[in-house]
Amino acid sequence: MNNPKTLTFAFMDPPFESERTVTFFRLLDAALERGASLRVFAYEGAVALAFARQSPHGNAVHGRDAAEEDHPLTREWIRALQEKAAAKTLSFEWINCGLCVDERGVNEVIDGCGRGGPPDLWRYASDAFNTLTIGTR
Amino acid sequence: MSDYLFIQSQDPFTEVRCAAQYRLARQLREAGHQVAVLLVQNGVVPARRDARDGAFDTLIASGVAVSADGFSLKQREIEASDLKADVAVGDVGDAIDALLAGAKVIWN
Repeated sequence: MNNPKTLTFAFMDPPFESERTVTFFRLLDAALERGASLRVFAYEGAVALAFARQSPHGNAVHGRDAAEEDHPLTREWIRALQEKAAAKTLSFEWINCGLCVDERGVNEVIDGCGRGGPPDLWRYASDAFNTLTIGTR
Repeated sequence: MSDYLFIQSQDPFTEVRCAAQYRLARQLREAGHQVAVLLVQNGVVPARRDARDGAFDTLIASGVAVSADGFSLKQREIEASDLKADVAVGDVGDAIDALLAGAKVIWN
């Protein structure tokens, strides 16, 4: 795709906690659908979205094993977005705040997600066509 | 003049700050800006026809374009026919369109 516009998103919610996480991923998917390249700066709890050791689990209460439960993992959603971007020849960059990673011990992240700091958010926002910050109230 | 889109995830029945958020959107329009509000998550709740919130009703009467995310409506079993007359059905993609058009998009 020729010179797609780049959008930057800053997000701070952890996985498996808030409906905001679902909305955030829907926004990213919609942006790729519209041909935008993406840069994500994840900070605070959001650094665990890309944690490589997330594991699916069953649901004993409902009598379902892990396969039947098909528990959604945010690392897999990120992977799916990476693949979607690649198929559309769009860029998809993801940087986790390093301090936030260290605090939470979630250093093992999936491929394609990097480590950085607030200056990366500044760079992302400065270079992007537009930026959306999704804060946790 | 600027274009604003507020992504409104908070609802007035659990967040008192919503009244101020609605007021800001309305005042920006009154100041001559283009303003739209996209309701998402529990933010769609006051758009139900029989929901009672004066600040929200003042917002939709002000001429600010208000739409409700269809996915959020579906999650809450709210049909388009259940919405107040001045609320349209929208999608989070509308927020992306606004970003790509250079609007100021603000998450509430």
